[in-house]
Amino acid sequence: MRAQGARKSPDAPLATVAKIDNAQRLSAVDVRAKVLGLKPGMSLPDARAMHPALVCVDADARAEAQTLEDIADWCRRFTPLAALDAPDGVMLDVSGAAHLFGGEAKLLMEVEARLEAQGFCARAALASTPEAAWALARYGTLRLLPPDLDETERARRLADLPLAALRLDAATISDLAQAGLRRIGDIMLRPRAPIAARCGGFIHARLDGLLGRVKTPISPRFEAPPYLAERRFLDGVTHREDIAATILSLAHDLAELLVRHSEGARRLKVSLFRVDGLVKHFEVGASRPLREPKLIARLFDERIDAACASNGDDALDAGYGFDVIRLAALTAERKDPEQTGWNDPNDAADLADLIDRLGARLGLRRVSRLAFNPVHAPEFAVIASPAADLQKLNSRESNSRQPQNPRAKLPRKADAGSGRRRSAPVSFAPPPRPDFGDEDAGKYLPSRPIRLLQRPEPIDAIACVPDGPPLRFRWRRVMHEVAALEGPERIAPEWWKSKTALTRDYFRAEDTEGQRFWLFREGLFNSETARPRWFMHGLFA
Amino acid sequence: MSQRGSSARVDFLRQRIARIEAGGSAESTLPHQDAPVSLGENFSLDRMLHGGLRRGALHEIAPGRAGDGAAASGFALALSARFAAKAAESRSSIIWIVEDYARLENGAPYGPGLALHGVDPTRLVLVHTLNAKESLWAMEEALKCRAAAAVIGEIWSLEKAYGLAASRRLVLAAQKSGTPGLMLASGMARGAHKLSSSAQTRFEIFSCVGPRLAAARGLPLPGLACWSLRIVKARAGPDRFGFDRDKLLSILWDHEEACFRDAFPLPLSSHARNRSDHPADARARRAEVA
Repeated sequence: MRAQGARKSPDAPLATVAKIDNAQRLSAVDVRAKVLGLKPGMSLPDARAMHPALVCVDADARAEAQTLEDIADWCRRFTPLAALDAPDGVMLDVSGAAHLFGGEAKLLMEVEARLEAQGFCARAALASTPEAAWALARYGTLRLLPPDLDETERARRLADLPLAALRLDAATISDLAQAGLRRIGDIMLRPRAPIAARCGGFIHARLDGLLGRVKTPISPRFEAPPYLAERRFLDGVTHREDIAATILSLAHDLAELLVRHSEGARRLKVSLFRVDGLVKHFEVGASRPLREPKLIARLFDERIDAACASNGDDALDAGYGFDVIRLAALTAERKDPEQTGWNDPNDAADLADLIDRLGARLGLRRVSRLAFNPVHAPEFAVIASPAADLQKLNSRESNSRQPQNPRAKLPRKADAGSGRRRSAPVSFAPPPRPDFGDEDAGKYLPSRPIRLLQRPEPIDAIACVPDGPPLRFRWRRVMHEVAALEGPERIAPEWWKSKTALTRDYFRAEDTEGQRFWLFREGLFNSETARPRWFMHGLFA
Repeated sequence: MSQRGSSARVDFLRQRIARIEAGGSAESTLPHQDAPVSLGENFSLDRMLHGGLRRGALHEIAPGRAGDGAAASGFALALSARFAAKAAESRSSIIWIVEDYARLENGAPYGPGLALHGVDPTRLVLVHTLNAKESLWAMEEALKCRAAAAVIGEIWSLEKAYGLAASRRLVLAAQKSGTPGLMLASGMARGAHKLSSSAQTRFEIFSCVGPRLAAARGLPLPGLACWSLRIVKARAGPDRFGFDRDKLLSILWDHEEACFRDAFPLPLSSHARNRSDHPADARARRAEVA
């Protein structure tokens, strides 16, 4: 299929102009210009001389590529397998889809008619190999090559095409033309070796593809989803409620398919095809395999609500309406039927639903759980990962684990040692602290703050040189007088990762008001830096 | 405390009203899970709140001064740790909804520190929101969930979106599921009395100089987390007028035992002496050991 990205202008002929071979040349022309005899590749002065009324615009390669991508996305209403065929084509694999549109000939007509309604001048062709379809769309008089032809018949029908239909470059074509070879029929029956020796073997590879002797795949823009349900409407659907109801009924269809294969969907996508060619996608993720229609519909409700909140009230921008609504499960996982009770609500499922709902509305990355990372650097000792990803892992773990005393994880003893380098990594369950043998040694402030600033904030601190504790400091324009202090706790950088990072001495400080801070001095005096700097890194309760 | 002497009849009627307000009929007893959660053994705040904090309700926490945001979040976390310890086994998660600006201002919740503070970070679900409206929505959704031990909503710009109606929605969600909601108004320093809402209680938290431990040399070592607390509002319960709104109460959070304590208990109380974290005691003992 081939789409020329030139829109119809009211009356004057239109052409796009680009700089080709150091000259301003026409890169594409519209139907009117074509009728007047203008062709792509003609130089601009020549064209102007022939038709002074010609309207020229600069070719915008990026916009053309974007338009082509949009067209390819739109073409997925015919088949899920649509590939870009830059610069000016879209390749569709319609195996098993043509009958849905009343046969191959009708499908071709529908594609062309719908593209024309959008203002594109397109030519569609259908054949049993991508090469043959490409050649027919661009050079053929015939548009449909039935797949059930035998090879000789197929060769006969393709023999009249020019050699350019093999996607050869201009130099090769002129080389071959000098030898008197102009049509595909000319090289079809000749011995292969001499031609291959002169122009390269790829000609025959193309020829084999064209004649269906080898199969070449297309590379679709998106993988075909494993499960898909869609609904088509004669008139466009515009109301939000109708769309929501359609999604719910599609979810019922999808659930039937999923139950049959005892699978559940982890990622789902709704595609709304607007009448005028625009396609909108909404994607949601689930933290566990999902197939309950109501839950699926609810997730999409949240997702669309969130879109509405972020770009004004009319996020759907239905225009003249959507005529195809499609619900696809992008990834599916095994899900066995569950035994559900009559009256005990499933709490774990409740939490998973909540996480999905929040994720659908706020974005999956904004709902997270904390996971431990065994490194010394405090800011990397903990990673927040999306809760939806961890959910499954956790539920598996908790099934195998005995319920335990929540306090068992807590440290039993505070660390009175200060100024020593700590060797064990900071973890959620720190190793037991040295026991001094007396229960009443007193309870200290925990060694880590409850809140860590996004990045350490520089402070002005007064401290004794070379490595004394801070006596007073100014943070966010407020002066704090240190009244109680513990430290230093020295955390050395990972020398195998970075040679420039400096050692940090952390202090826990309480000011006269009772606010507690975690601050550090960066760099060892004289051995690492001449002027150690102070930073605020965290806040204690 | 002065009102404790009122007649049993008035007490009974007040309890009936509390039941009606909770959504049930006057005769039905409250569900078991709505029994208040005690905050610590022999703890004065428990007595003032008539047994502790209720689960299916909304509690508000505001910092007293501009620098007390961390103290207020520490108090909220401590409360949620108490709720989690008393919750049913199936209620395993604590959901903390943080508005982006609050995270910028007070820092992000830090896992290792939370573990030391008494909250298991693997139970924590963190939700980041853009603004107060999103936070309120997320909080309502989270409160409807029956798998959460507590829901903390930290909202910086609370005044704009929050009020009687918004808080009523949260209260209804909390009552239905029995999940406690903790509204942390970290941007409302000195503004706690201006808020009007249908929350059960409202606390104002000041960080305060806690017990300190003697060091070998130099400055003393900081001890347990200590807060001064003011009850700005306590909605229901027989003692609702029985507290002094201006009274500052000093409390300690013992992160090892996961319970609250009075920082300066009455000398009469038997609990007062022989306390490990009392500065004088600790100093004496350390001297002995040395």
